[in-house]
Amino acid sequence: MTRALEVESHDTATDQTGPSRTDEGAPDAIFTFQELARLDEALTMSSRETGLRFTLYIGDLGPRTRVQAEELHARSGHHPIDAVLIAVSPGQKVVEVVTGAGAARRLPDRACALAVLSMTTSFASGDLVGGIVNGLRQLSDQAGHPATLRH
Amino acid sequence: MNTVEVLLVLVGIPLAVIVVLALLTLPGGRKRTRYKPGQPWDHAPVWYEPHPEGGSSGGHGAGPGSGAAAMGGGTTAALGSSMYPEQPEERNTDTSSGGGNGTAHGAGSSAHGAGSSAHGAGSSAHGATSAAMRPVDAGPLGGARGTW
Repeated sequence: MTRALEVESHDTATDQTGPSRTDEGAPDAIFTFQELARLDEALTMSSRETGLRFTLYIGDLGPRTRVQAEELHARSGHHPIDAVLIAVSPGQKVVEVVTGAGAARRLPDRACALAVLSMTTSFASGDLVGGIVNGLRQLSDQAGHPATLRH
Repeated sequence: MNTVEVLLVLVGIPLAVIVVLALLTLPGGRKRTRYKPGQPWDHAPVWYEPHPEGGSSGGHGAGPGSGAAAMGGGTTAALGSSMYPEQPEERNTDTSSGGGNGTAHGAGSSAHGAGSSAHGAGSSAHGATSAAMRPVDAGPLGGARGTW
């Protein structure tokens, strides 16, 4: 891939100016663009279907994974009551699903456990994206379509 | 048919077929290693979010931050995505306009440290970042936990 500007550029940057996009190195790519598109669509469509807000965190969760995941859930937006956080820590081999009080009414813990089970099955075979997408599908199927969103 | 021709037909042609198939199937320059269970995960944490519906509803409000947000990204990444075209509100990349447009969940201030700002640039859709999200009490939490 050629860089946007191969020539010497006469920019007007000062000390405070951040690096331009072309100066940034290659992004730390976890997923391919196809995988990102799948995640993107799964998150967006399950959120729109259910009216809940699904977010996905992938990263380390520290020694107390549940506490960390609940902390993240509390920060997941302005309205975490209807938010569902899926926190995956591939390094620790842990996945946590956290539902707010409103979301928990439509997504009982049992349904979350079932989705987690299907996710871990995929994760154990190395398929991170497939597991996440399937888990999201199960969760949104379980949560259903709320009456307020029905048209 | 002498020996050389026999060798060419019976050895050369199968070998040629094998080489062609190998070149077609063996991945040449695959840089990204696939995740295997048990290997360490040394990527910066990322947090992916759904796109706001119509750019207005949802707890997150509209803003540049839709899609995935890198944990520590302080830069405005690409707007919109190929699948969900840019929302009108996404144009506004000014992080000082309104408090609801940030998707950096604890950018830099979260307990697991900041990811690199270049991290978000790889995702198909992602958001700019602004102030850290204030934790909100969500009542009794539910959920599940799994290991593999």
